[in-house]
Amino acid sequence: MTAIDQNTTGENRAPVRSVAVTKTWPASVGLMRRSLVNITRLPSAFIPSIMMPIFQSIAFSGTFFAITKIPGFPTDRSINWFLPLGVIMGCGFAGIGIGFATIKDLEGGFYDRLRLTPAPRWSLVSGPLLAAMFRAVLVTLIVLVVGVLFGARPEHGALGIIPLFVAGVGISAIGTGWGLGLAYRFGDMRAAAIMQLTFFLIIFLTEAQTPLFIMEGWLESVTRVNPFNDVIRLSRLGFLEQPMTWNDTWGGLAAIAGFSVLTLLFARSGLKRLSNN
Amino acid sequence: MTTVESPAAATRGIRLDPSSLAQTWAMSKRSTLALWRQPSLVVPSLIFPLFFAALGTSSFSRATALPGFPAVDSYLDFALAGAVVQGILFGSTVGATALATDIENGFFDRLLSSPSTRSGIIVGRMAGGMVFGGAQTLFFILVLLPFGLSVKGGIAGVVAMIIGGTVLALAVGALMSAMAIKTGSSEAVQGAFPLLFIALFFSSAFFPRETMSGVYGTLADVNPISHLVEGFRDLTIEGFSGSAVIRAILIPAGLAVLTVALALRTLNNRLGAR
Repeated sequence: MTAIDQNTTGENRAPVRSVAVTKTWPASVGLMRRSLVNITRLPSAFIPSIMMPIFQSIAFSGTFFAITKIPGFPTDRSINWFLPLGVIMGCGFAGIGIGFATIKDLEGGFYDRLRLTPAPRWSLVSGPLLAAMFRAVLVTLIVLVVGVLFGARPEHGALGIIPLFVAGVGISAIGTGWGLGLAYRFGDMRAAAIMQLTFFLIIFLTEAQTPLFIMEGWLESVTRVNPFNDVIRLSRLGFLEQPMTWNDTWGGLAAIAGFSVLTLLFARSGLKRLSNN
Repeated sequence: MTTVESPAAATRGIRLDPSSLAQTWAMSKRSTLALWRQPSLVVPSLIFPLFFAALGTSSFSRATALPGFPAVDSYLDFALAGAVVQGILFGSTVGATALATDIENGFFDRLLSSPSTRSGIIVGRMAGGMVFGGAQTLFFILVLLPFGLSVKGGIAGVVAMIIGGTVLALAVGALMSAMAIKTGSSEAVQGAFPLLFIALFFSSAFFPRETMSGVYGTLADVNPISHLVEGFRDLTIEGFSGSAVIRAILIPAGLAVLTVALALRTLNNRLGAR
């Protein structure tokens, strides 16, 4: 089936909008499945994305255990502080990993074939996005279970876990948009280095390691204006010995919504540029 | 009449005749120039430790008042040792990855089919890493000095740290080279990198052992990286002492003896299997 249908008189006509809309979802799901099937077919590529946040949560908790002794620290369990950071890193890299896979597809020529199909262009973005979000849920769940085994205790029960999942899925969406946008623009592994470096910097220039009141100097100033700090705060809401308030929630939600839209538009425009070239 | 030496026999011991030295020198020069000519390979191992040192200084300054933390002017003084060791661990994989690439693209086989000394191929590759390890140590100290770093050990302490950094680069480079020779895959060498990262984190590279507890503290106690980091650290925050020099230089030297022997043995096995 082609994108351009023929009517009974043989004239070419543009596809009606409703047809395109109905195609987007199945095409997205197909692309999501293709991405997810690699979890079982290429476990060597997926397992590090699980191991990395687990290791980070445990290693940081052990190394920096003593910071919880600083008066006013919002929890006395260091794993409660560092587990959400591990989840955010893992979920972000789940999104960026989609960018890596896209680079491979571009280099291998698969993307050219994909673009020749009648799949709606948005599905080339939304399919990988769905896959990244699914992976993010998986990463969050596994890291959370391992974290609990290592002593993490959500302070607000099941309700406290919801912000962690929201922040994880949200950061994976941002990572996907950023990763795809760079992959479409560069088309080779140069993009991979930029994806990782920028994500890494932007996450660590927050309260990633210590709360704002402990920081001194340049990092405190940067953290105060870094919107991703609100995402980190959102992810930690349920793990700190302080009430979960709307004041601590809305900033993270707004940052996720805003940056998801911006990065996904960045990916869409990159795809358009790739198609034009 | 010439005697034909088996490839495996050629790696037993490092020959010191002028020809072998000249060949080793040529290969050392090649590996050193490769680092200079491909800055993108080495820049991350210079930038990331500095970034973490800067991040730590801003994040953990107040933690220096915690019980168990050594007396320091600032967290930056404490962080230097961790940054140096971190940079060297990261940088030392570059030479081993290049060795694996040589194996993958056939250059290693061409070297083996030439009449060059076998051990020189490995030693030459490690020499580049050693030069870089020493240079990294000096680089970190020079860059951090304007930001308030003070090295209590003075010039002698800096020299001891550079020597320690050079020997540590040899130890880690040899370990990763053994991996490169064994697998012949640059991906496998890169894949082994997280192990170094784990070893670094389960040590006192970023926080003192005295503040750790439980299994984590025990792991840091038995991890040799903790002790060599503390040698570097004592040269920075306490001053020049025999104990600090021994830990900063002799621990990496002991590791280097083991890992160089492992690398040569792995090469020997590879050649013997042909």
